[in-house]
This record gives sequence, structure tokens and C-alpha cells, in this order.
Amino acid sequence: MDFLSLISPLFVMLAIGGTLVGIIFGAIPGMTATMAVAICLPLTYSLGLENGLALLLGLYVGGISGGLVPAILLGIPGTPSSITTCFDGYPMAQRGEGEKALRIGIIASLVGGLISLAALYFFAPALADFAIRFSYVEKFLIILFALTVMAALSSNMLLGIFSGFLGIFVSLIGVYDVTDGGNGHFRLIPPGTDYWLDGGFSLLPVLIGLFGLTAILDEAEKGMPKGMSLDQIKVGAHSRFSFSVFKGQVLNLVRSSGIGTFVGILPGVGGSAASILSYTAAKTTSKHPERFGKGEPGGIMASEAGNNGLTGGALVPLLSLGIPGDSTTALLIGAFALQGIQVGPLFIGNNGDTWNAMIVAMIVANLAMFVMMYFAIRWFAMVVAVPKHILYPIILMMCVIGAYTINYGIMFDVWTLLIFGVFGWLATKLKLEIAPFIIGFILGPSAEIYFVKSLESFGDLTIFFTKSPIAVVLWVLIIGSVAISVLMARRSRQQAAGEPPLA
Amino acid sequence: MGEWTRVKVDFATSHLIFPTLIGIVLIVLGAAILITQRRAVLGSGAMWRETFARMDKARFLGGLGLTVLYFLLMVPVGDIWPNTGMGFLLCSIPFVALTGILFMHSRTLGNIIPVLIIAVAGPLLVWWLFSDIFYLTLP
Repeated sequence: MDFLSLISPLFVMLAIGGTLVGIIFGAIPGMTATMAVAICLPLTYSLGLENGLALLLGLYVGGISGGLVPAILLGIPGTPSSITTCFDGYPMAQRGEGEKALRIGIIASLVGGLISLAALYFFAPALADFAIRFSYVEKFLIILFALTVMAALSSNMLLGIFSGFLGIFVSLIGVYDVTDGGNGHFRLIPPGTDYWLDGGFSLLPVLIGLFGLTAILDEAEKGMPKGMSLDQIKVGAHSRFSFSVFKGQVLNLVRSSGIGTFVGILPGVGGSAASILSYTAAKTTSKHPERFGKGEPGGIMASEAGNNGLTGGALVPLLSLGIPGDSTTALLIGAFALQGIQVGPLFIGNNGDTWNAMIVAMIVANLAMFVMMYFAIRWFAMVVAVPKHILYPIILMMCVIGAYTINYGIMFDVWTLLIFGVFGWLATKLKLEIAPFIIGFILGPSAEIYFVKSLESFGDLTIFFTKSPIAVVLWVLIIGSVAISVLMARRSRQQAAGEPPLA
Repeated sequence: MGEWTRVKVDFATSHLIFPTLIGIVLIVLGAAILITQRRAVLGSGAMWRETFARMDKARFLGGLGLTVLYFLLMVPVGDIWPNTGMGFLLCSIPFVALTGILFMHSRTLGNIIPVLIIAVAGPLLVWWLFSDIFYLTLP
């Protein structure tokens, strides 16, 4: 129980404070949990690993949960993962049941968060124990699997895979690192840029650019949508909430949390997939599917339990395999790297106290999220009205600090932020997918080492198929995920041709 | 398997193996995208024209321009008072103020004053927090 010494009042305060800031970020449309984590990363330098993680995990849980506020009150998802909360939450708010809908969402979020946390606690160490036996061949195949799964769940598989490989390609710019067994030669550096690019692009400025600046450029392009005025926000004072609404919904809650957790475990798949899948499952198994989309409490429960289920799930591949489960956990890799810790199969075994402290931080964050949102929901509802013209310049300034301080004061990192902010904006226009790009960018250098070293030691391409039964299973999974996505694409094309698309 | 699957890795050129492979994969995928999505690719010119026509040019290009100017000025201004973080502080105040006013919809005095207060207080607080409390380097 040594880890209890790590749980200081500061630790708890940071988890609670992080949750509060996260909820605010989640509640403001256009700002996400990922953005909150990105701009708070520099704070973790001086906080130390456990305290820093308490803050970041609080931001993560709060950020995913806060999205339900505008989704219900305004019909605009605060974060992409609360898209399906709008479907039933907004109709409820329109008929004066805003507060009831919010509370249903908050309780479902808590259930989803706690169930996924339990899954994380029991599943991640087991998976890590299993993964310790992986050689470079299996590790390479795991990365390939991560990319194909993400691509399979992208809106267009080819573009998803292309984005992932593009991420890998960009990550290879610079030196083939000697510390990992490379030969120290440079590659892919355009002439004249070797002064800046000999070490490649730094991870965190890339992430901060893609998640901070891109969102701001996107909104600026649309002319900075006007903020809501306070009188547009109707919480619905007279809607009575009672727990009886959850009667008969336990299965829905557990199933949605399970789906969310599972989607979280799949590498690189974000919260929107989690909530859409749980919502669809709830609708198809409901006795009254016709009520969905018109203000059915079960829909809010499915959506919110699903997206909060993601929080624990997404940490499973991160802490057991070193592969981020979604874009926010990708940023957590950066936080670990800042403290000189590499996440992977050895992490939990070697850092037992940190692991336990992370679980405590997640529990504190989930409970804090519940207490704050349940009792102060009226106040959070007002956050939706905070004007963007005040927030965005401040966020840009925080992005600069984050990028500049990451390598102790390199101005090129700030320019990296701008380059990737603009790239992110262009990429969304070209329908490229940011999540696979990020995962490719993070895992690219490892993939290279695993691939080249496997070839160096075995000297035969067949090793990727014959190394072990696990390798064969991974190939089956890789081919399976591609096949499923091809089938899904074909089915949705047929549906699109046969019937008018749903709203 | 036969001879053709054998590979001999030359350590001196091993830094090129993976980038070449990924490059080939990207070209193949790119070609596949060009073929399957040819309609979207051919229509991309129209897409960009429409994007630029619809774009709020003042806010988008103005915001981008201010950001570039902000980044450009930070280091030279910081060099006047080295290691004090003044470059960050003195550039952030006008940047936050001007971007805030640019992004604002109704530029009345009542709206501009809060932006100006935040433009001074925000960077000052952040500068004090990061340079005095956290001892981080700022430009």
C-alpha cells in the first residue's frame, strides 16, 4: 500500500480541479477533452508524475462528461463523443425536461466511468503480462493491427489507412535513432531544413497543433459562431428527476458501458464510435425503438454510459501495450515521456505505485464529476455561454507555452504547432482522418525498429507469419478487421442507395 | 519458403528500408484513392473554391496572420531582455487583445473592455505562474 503515500491532498485537489476544468472544456462546443489535456501538459513538468497524471486524468474524465451539457441544452455536442446524447437529450430539454435529462446523463456517465475503470484495473495488468512475451515481430503486428482497426472504423477505410501511414511517414523524418539500435543516419529531410529537422517533429507540438490550433482555425473559418446568450439556455426548472427512470435500464447501462470500454480498448478509436455503437445497440434491442430520437431517457443513458465507458477502456492498450486507445490518451503518452517513463508491457509491473495512483485518480475524478455536475448543473449550463473570442486567444497563448517549453525552449516547436495546426485544418478538408494520423505518428518510430530489427535478426520475410501462434492470430485479426470494414462499407453503400439516409 | 523471401539488411543503409516501404505503401494507397474516389478528386477544385468563397476571410486569415506575427516577434522582443520571458509577455498582451477583438462579433465598448482586461491579466498571470512558480523557460 505504498502508493497511499502518493495520495496527498494536492493529488486529490488536482484530480478534482482537473475534472472541473475538464467539464468546462467539454461543455463549451468546439473545445474538447483532448484540447484541455494538450494545453495543461506543461503544468505537469513541475508537478511530478503522479500529481501530473491526477490532473490530466481529471481533465480527461471531466472533458468527456462535460459534453453532455450543450448536447442536451442546445442540441450541439460539446465533444464529438456526445453526438448521440443530442438525439434524445435535446428533445427532452425542448419539452422542459432539461434538468431531468442532464441528471440521467450524469448518472449514466458515472456508471460508464466506473464499469470501465473496473475493466481497466483487472484487464490491463493481465494483457500486459501476456504482452511481455511479445517479440519485435508481434509488436510490429500489433501496431499494424491498431492501424487497420482504426481505418476500419474510419468513415472511409482507404483514407483512414492512408492517414495512418502518412502519420508513420512523417514520424520517420529526421535521424534513425542510435539509442533504439538505428544507424544514426538522417533521412526524409528536405534540403535546407536539416538544422530544425534533424530530430524530426516533436510529438507534443504536433498534438497541440492538431488539437488546439486546428479547432480554432476551423471555427475562425466559419466566422466564429456566435456564443449563446444566457436566456437561450433553458434548464427546465420544473422537471422532476427520480431514480425510477432507471428501472428496466440496468441492462442498457451495463451493455453500453461494456461497448464503450471495448471500443476504448480498440486502439485509436474515439468516443464518437463508442456512443454511436451503444446508442444503436440500445435502440435495436429496445421494446420501443420508435421513441428513440424523440426524447427517450434510454438513449441518453446508452450514449453517456458508452462515451464514459471509453475512459477506462482507452487506457488499457496504452498501459499494457504502449498504444493509445484514443487521441486524448495519445497525449498522455507525451506526459509519460516528459517524466522519462516509457509506457508498454513493463509499465504496470515496474511502476505499481503509479498504476495504483492512476486508478485512485480515476475514481476521484469520476466521483468529483458526479458530485459537481449533479448538484451544480445549473452553473455548468451557463459555461456554454462563455464567449469564444475571449477563450480562443488565451488557448492559443497556452498552446505556445506548451509547445515552447516541451524541449526546454526551442522556437521551432512553436512553428511545428502552427505547421500541424494548418495541416490539421487542410486534412479535415481533404477528408483525411486525424486519429489514425496521430497513432501512426506516435507508433511510427517503434514500428520501424520492430520491423527492421526483425528482418536483421531473422533475414527472412516469412518470419512475420511464422514467428509464433500469436503472430498468426494477429494476422487473422488484421485481415478480419480489413474484411469487416470492406463489408461494412459495402452494406452502407447499399443502404444509402436503397433508402434515404437517416438524419 | 524459397529464396525470394530472404532479406539481407545492410546496417549502413538500414535507415532507408522503412521509409522506402512506407513511401511505396502511400503511393499504392494514394493511387487506389485516386481511382476509387476519382469523382471527389476531380471535384476538389470546386470544393476549395467553395471553401474560400464561404470562408470568413477576415477572421481566418487575420487570425492566422496575427499568429504568425506573434510567433515571429516573440524571439526578437525576448532577446532585448534575455531570460526574462518578456518576449512572451509583451507579445501575448497585444496578440490576445487583437485576436479577441478580431474574433468578436459586435465590437462595442462594453464588449471590448473585458477583452482588454483579460488580454493584460491573462498573459501576466500565466507568465508569473510559469516563470516564477514553475521555473519554465519562456521566449
